[in-house]
Parts: sequence; structure tokens; C-alpha cells
Amino acid sequence: MNGDDTILNFRFSIGNRRSAIGNQLSVEGLCVGFFTQACPETGLSRAKSRGRGNGVVPAVQDVSFSIKKGQTFALVGESGCGKTATALAIMRLLPAGQSRVVQGKILFEGRNLLELSEKQMRLIRGSKISMVFQEPATSLNPVYTVGDQIAEAIELHQNKNAGQAWEDAAAILRKVGIADPERRALEYPHRLSGGMQQRVMIAMAISCNPVLLIADEPTTALDTTVQAQILDLLDDLRKQNGMSILLITHNLGVAAQRADIIAVMYASRLVEIADSRQLLAQPHHPYTQGLLRSLPRLGSPPTGSGVERLQTIPGTVPEALHLPGGCKFHPRCRVGCADMRCRKIEPALREIQPGRWAACWRAPGYE
Amino acid sequence: MSKQSQERPNWGLSYGELVWRRFRKSRLNMACLIFVAFLLLLAVFAPFLASDRPFIVRIDGKLHFPLFKNLQLADYCIFLAAGVASLQLFVGSRRQNRKFRILSPVCCLLYVGLGSMLILAFVPRRLDATDYRALIASGKASNAVFPPIPYGYDRTNLELCRQPPSRRHWLGTDDVGTDVLCRLIHGSRISLAVGFVAVGISTIIGIVAGAILGYFGGKVDFIGMRIVEAVMAIPVFFLIITMMAFFPRSILNIMIIIGITGWTGSARFIRAEFLKLRRQDFVQAAISLALPLRSILFRHMLPNAIAPVLVNATFGISSAIFIEAALSFLGFGVAPPTPSWGQMLSLGVSTTGRFLWWLTLFPGLAIFLTVMAYNLAGEGLRDAIDPPRAGTALVSPALTGRVPPAVPGVNTAEGGRKTR
Repeated sequence: MNGDDTILNFRFSIGNRRSAIGNQLSVEGLCVGFFTQACPETGLSRAKSRGRGNGVVPAVQDVSFSIKKGQTFALVGESGCGKTATALAIMRLLPAGQSRVVQGKILFEGRNLLELSEKQMRLIRGSKISMVFQEPATSLNPVYTVGDQIAEAIELHQNKNAGQAWEDAAAILRKVGIADPERRALEYPHRLSGGMQQRVMIAMAISCNPVLLIADEPTTALDTTVQAQILDLLDDLRKQNGMSILLITHNLGVAAQRADIIAVMYASRLVEIADSRQLLAQPHHPYTQGLLRSLPRLGSPPTGSGVERLQTIPGTVPEALHLPGGCKFHPRCRVGCADMRCRKIEPALREIQPGRWAACWRAPGYE
Repeated sequence: MSKQSQERPNWGLSYGELVWRRFRKSRLNMACLIFVAFLLLLAVFAPFLASDRPFIVRIDGKLHFPLFKNLQLADYCIFLAAGVASLQLFVGSRRQNRKFRILSPVCCLLYVGLGSMLILAFVPRRLDATDYRALIASGKASNAVFPPIPYGYDRTNLELCRQPPSRRHWLGTDDVGTDVLCRLIHGSRISLAVGFVAVGISTIIGIVAGAILGYFGGKVDFIGMRIVEAVMAIPVFFLIITMMAFFPRSILNIMIIIGITGWTGSARFIRAEFLKLRRQDFVQAAISLALPLRSILFRHMLPNAIAPVLVNATFGISSAIFIEAALSFLGFGVAPPTPSWGQMLSLGVSTTGRFLWWLTLFPGLAIFLTVMAYNLAGEGLRDAIDPPRAGTALVSPALTGRVPPAVPGVNTAEGGRKTR
């Protein structure tokens, strides 16, 4: 690719982002529950446990956000905070006997995905929304060559014959940066490195030109250099194809580098959404502030003399079944732990400045 | 090594190739496989090995080809099936085609099953009743070329009944004077057909039922497994004997009954594997690409779950052969002119006074060897598929360099003990 092309692509993506009025995807008040007492074998005791009012763990509570066309939207949070459950809810892949979307809407191209039949959903999966999973090693079928797996999706969604689909598969493998794609297409997944496997997964996901790619921790299983390559690749593909990316990660650094918008999740709720630069420069929620303070930084010398300890957020993440009352973060909060309002009343996510949302009583402009 | 990799890029071993490499390490496994292949050849070429019709004969100065003329439609079907199967086996092992390598062994089994089914669908009729031996004796015919065992399996000869093994009749004759060797060869067709078709039916039912139970889980699985348990509680042998009282005594009925009662084993294996697989990332990835359910179940999940079912099927074949022999021995099996090993076995004891040892020994030996070959081959297959469970992992260290490290469910040669 020469320089002119890159500039063109860059302009195209900028223009695209400005002209986009409608949202690609908007999630409104999504709640997902996981059943703890349901017998996964039979699912028979589920109704009983629901009737008693316990045994349902809220994995996602009242989550709302929207992704614009061509945007990278990062969902950041620690393990178990509901990031993956949100992604699975969008794909409608939540494990059937164990979890359920309790309420909420997922609007995609003007339709609520949660109301679609399984048949209609299949027209959207893969061709409109596709997903890259966390573990590249287990996300590829060990018994088929990688070319086979990519070609099958192409054959299905684009009505091509086997030969054409195979050629397309090789072309896509080249696009995701795999050298000698015709030969690599004939390899079994176990013969590829982790980075190459993840490239193949991405190739599978983008094979049918989706408009939204959900990347569920795409780089967690990879080392830092490969991580950067994969993220660059996703960025390039976003610019080339004009698709949106929902990037799920627990790595704030990754989100800071790549995302346009960052949403921070804590204890199955969204606590802050902001433009990535604004969020990093001026976090408003104490949890986000705590996260940023606990990151070591290059180039910013410690204040004062000598070495300063990296700060941590005191306490631990509350158990999903025994959440504290009021603001879910207040027991660990430096400013809110003494405030009666923080203890008693839970703040909802509210727009505090144009384009910035936060869920904290003490955030400037919240009230 | 380097020269070889230049000629043919090393694309890595498929799962099947991996299993095959481990399977062939054992001489016993190979001996069993060769014996089974030998039996299959006997069954396929039975009319050319034992028949009372000559390949070629001159009658009144004109050449006749009675053996070829009297081949049944069923014979042609089985030749065709065997031909296609062996071609596919050969081409599949040579060609590095992606689909061929996976499908060829499965297709071969299907062809063999289909061929055996066809044999039995068309009940052999005797088209040409001419006694060529009498013609030759009377001087009307000459220049006859007979098959190696020049006796028909349904030609009676009361003058030569109950003869012990001799130079003319290598394994003796039975109570109506038919050659025992000839009947043994033709009987292998029935045995193998019963084995393959019954197991084919039961495995297909088992795979479909198990796949649905395991994939959907929940209530489907709960109810389905109770049905499986109910079917498992039925004593198959007595059911077949009862059924034989209601339906005509035909080999097809036996196969169908064995098939529709024997699917529980493979259903349980497939269900267990599918329960394990259904939450795996690659299955989720397949769903997220909106692949059709058919493809997810049978293309993506089944090949990862088929190994224990193949082993189970191998044992199933031997048990089906055994059930058929037992039924025929008791007189519930195939009708008398059609040769069956079990029915021949019963002739040795049914006659008064004399114990006709050759009528008991040879069919008994045939049943014993066949059942044992299938059982040992099945055991070898199980060890090849699942080395940790094997008594001795027959994997040589030479293999370690080429075995890929991360095939789920396959333990590589790392921990294998050296045996040779």
C-alpha cells in the first residue's frame, strides 16, 4: 500500500465518522441474569429458584451505550464485571440453560436483536455482526484446515462455490497479514502460532464484511509485540472496511491506544463513558481515577524525592450475590465511603457534559 | 527429510493419519486388520472362489460362460461398491485433498454397508440349474475351467453326504452333501453383511440421537436419556427371537432389529462428547458465524466426538456377527439354502449318533476368528485414539518430532513408553 492510499483511507474514515448520524448499535438498559441454582443438566429447577427470588446473579445491570459507525468502542473492566456477558447478549450466544437477558433492548439497524427469531438472528450473525474470541487456540476447529473453516463461512454467506470461496479465503488470509496464504490455508490450526491463529480468527470474522466486529479480549492470550500487531490489524481493517469495533479488554493501555470511546464497567454496571482522551486526561469516576493511578507510567517522574509506591484501589471486588447497597463502589471509594448518599442511593449513569457520562454523585456536573 | 519436504510440503498430520500411525505400530493390530480385509475379499469374490458353474465351458463346440452369466444383480452391486471403496481408499491415501482425507474411511464403510445391504435385498435365485459336472461326465461338455472350489453352496448331493475332509472336499460335506468350504466362503457374506448393516443402522441412529441430546441439553437431554435407558433395558436377544416369530425369517429383519435396539451405546458416547464440546470456543465461533445447525452438529462437532463411536462400532460388528450366528444356530436365522456359519454349526450336533467334528470345528473357528479379529482391532483402535488409557502406548520416540503438540483429546508421544 502506498502513501496516497493511506491518506485516502484516513480521510475516508474521518469523513465517515463525521457524517455518521445514526448509531450502528445501541444497547439500552440491558440486564443479564445468570442462574446459580438451575441444574445445568436438566434446567428443571430453574423456575423454582426464580420463584424464591434468589439464585439469579445479575451479570449485567442496566447497561446502555451506543456505537457509531466506524468507531472503536472499548469496554473496559476487571474479570467478571460483565463485559463478555454483554458481548454474548449482543450475539445472542448466552448459554441457554444458565443465563437470560432479563430486560433491555439491543438496537441494531433499527431492529431489536432480542426480539428476532433464531432464523432472523442467523442472517445477522457472521454477515452483519461477528465476533473474535479470547482464546485463539480453542476457537479454531482442530480437525479442519484453517482455509476450510474460512471458506465454509464464505460459501454460506456469499453463495459462492467451493473453489471461489477457497480463493477468497486465501485472499482474506493475505489481508490479515499471513505470508504465503495459499499454503497456510492448508495447515491445521495446531501448526500455527498464537498470533497467526488469532489472525485466522479475525480473518474468519471479517470474511463476510460485517459492519460490527465484537473483539472479546482479542489480545489477552498473546504477548505484547503480537498484541500490538493484532490491534494494528484491527485498526487497519476498520479503516478499510468502515466497520465498527466493540473492543472488550481489561487492559486500559490497549483501550487508551485504540479506542475512540471508552466505557468503564464495575460490578456489572457502567460507571463512566467518555472520549478516550478526555477519560484519560480527566477521569470523573473514582474507580476510573483509581485504575489510572494504579498504572505505572513511562516518562512521568514520581513526585517528590525518591521512589513512590504505585497506588492501588483498597478492598476487593464485591461478590455478585452480595453487592453493597447504594453506589456499588462506595466501600472502596476514597471520597464516597463516608457520604450517606453514596451509601444509600445508587447513582444512575447520566450525561454530565456533552458526550460524557458518569455514575457518581460527586462527579462535576452530575446534579 | 529435507528432500522430502521439498517435494511435498509438510502440511501436518490430520487426526486420522495420527491415529493410523499409532494403530499400525502394533503387529497384532495389523494382523487383525489383514484378517478382516481377507474376509472382506472372500465375501466380495465368493462367486469366483466357490461355484459349481465353470468360468468357461465348451458345449457342442460353442463356448459358454455360465459363471458370469449367472451373477446376480446383487453381485454386481457389491463389486461396484468394493471397487469404488478401494479406489477411494487408494486415492484418499495418495491425494492431499482436504475433503478426501477425512471422508474416505467413512465412505468406504458406507460403501461396504450399502453393498452388503444390496446383496441381501436381492435374494439369490438360481437362474441356471444345469449340472455342468454331469454334462462333462457324459461327454457333452469339455474344456471346462472351474473356480478353485468347484461346488455350489446350494447343490445337494445325497450320495456324498456327511463326508469327513478329503482331497475332493477339503473341509468335508454336510448332511445334504454340500461342500463345507464353499458354504463357509458364501457364509462370510451373511456374517459381514449382518455386522456392517446392523452396526451402520445403530450407529447412524445413535449419532443423530446423541448429537441432539448433547447439543440441546436441558429438558431434551433429560427426557431423551430416559428413553435411552428404557431401550437399554430391553434384552435384545429375546426381542429378536420374539420378533422372528411374528415376521418372516429374513436376514434383513435380524439386521434391522439389531440395529434399532443397539444404538444406545453410540448415542451415550456421542451425547457425552457433545456435552463437553458444546461450550467450546470453536463451536461458539461456528454459531457466531451463523453456520447451519446441520453443519455445526455434524461437520464441526461430530469429527471431534467420533473416536469412541468408531471403537464402539467395531465391537458392535463382532457382537452382531455373534448374535446372527447364535440365532442361526438356534434355527431363527436365515432360511436353510442360504449359507450361514451359525446354521452350519448346528448341523454338527443335530444328527443322531455320529459327532460330525468338521461341521462343528470349521464354522466355529470361522466365527471365533472373525469375532476375535474385530474385537482386537477395536481394542487397537481404542488404544490408538486414546493412548493414555492404553496398557502400553505403542508410540516410538521417532514419532515425537512429527506429532503436533496440541490436538485436543490426543496425547502425543511425550509420555509414551518405548516398547520396541
